[in-house]
Amino acid sequence: MASERITADAVEVSEYPELINKYNIRGVPKIVVNDRVEFEGALPEKQFVERVLSATRREDQQG
Amino acid sequence: MAVLSDRDKEKVRKTFEERLKEPVSIQLFTQHESPLVLPGHECATCRETRELLEEVAGLSDKISLEVKDFLTDRQEAESMGIERIPAILLDGQVKGRVRFFGAPSGYEFSVLLQDILDASSGELGLSEDTLRKLSELQEDLHIQVFTTPT
Repeated sequence: MASERITADAVEVSEYPELINKYNIRGVPKIVVNDRVEFEGALPEKQFVERVLSATRREDQQG
Repeated sequence: MAVLSDRDKEKVRKTFEERLKEPVSIQLFTQHESPLVLPGHECATCRETRELLEEVAGLSDKISLEVKDFLTDRQEAESMGIERIPAILLDGQVKGRVRFFGAPSGYEFSVLLQDILDASSGELGLSEDTLRKLSELQEDLHIQVFTTPT
């Protein structure tokens, strides 16, 4: 909700089993960002934001 | 749970009364319910999701619900990147897009309620550091959180 650039989806995978295969979901919650970064489990806010932002190319450029 | 108990309805009604500020709109993309079911096009949880959202929306004047048909409103669904139903979209004091796919049952229901409250107030409870980092975003982010009903 904090940025116009963000779309946040909550997906009940039991209703879409094809996604379990597509994203190799073995535990929940599983978080996938831009189909590039993925992690499982709840994280504290700071770490969560860091993991999410690591999906941006800018982070890549910073090495 | 498809339909809320009277006790739950009262709790939610009270929470909305005390904490809802600005209006929140909910859009539901579902399928038209008819006696004829096209094989391969059944949406097992669409009816219960619609019923649940109708109940929730009925608990506050500040919540509006718009129900769209995934097939007849196909163009609109596609333009919003909706590929699966039921799809719930929240709008209010939010900058980005918040969407739920699948019936919000169990724990997800309380997540939905909390999101409605957040969308109403715009107060996100995020740290200044987080807000600053998010405001500096240079590209779009699509965050998907996969859960199972509890």
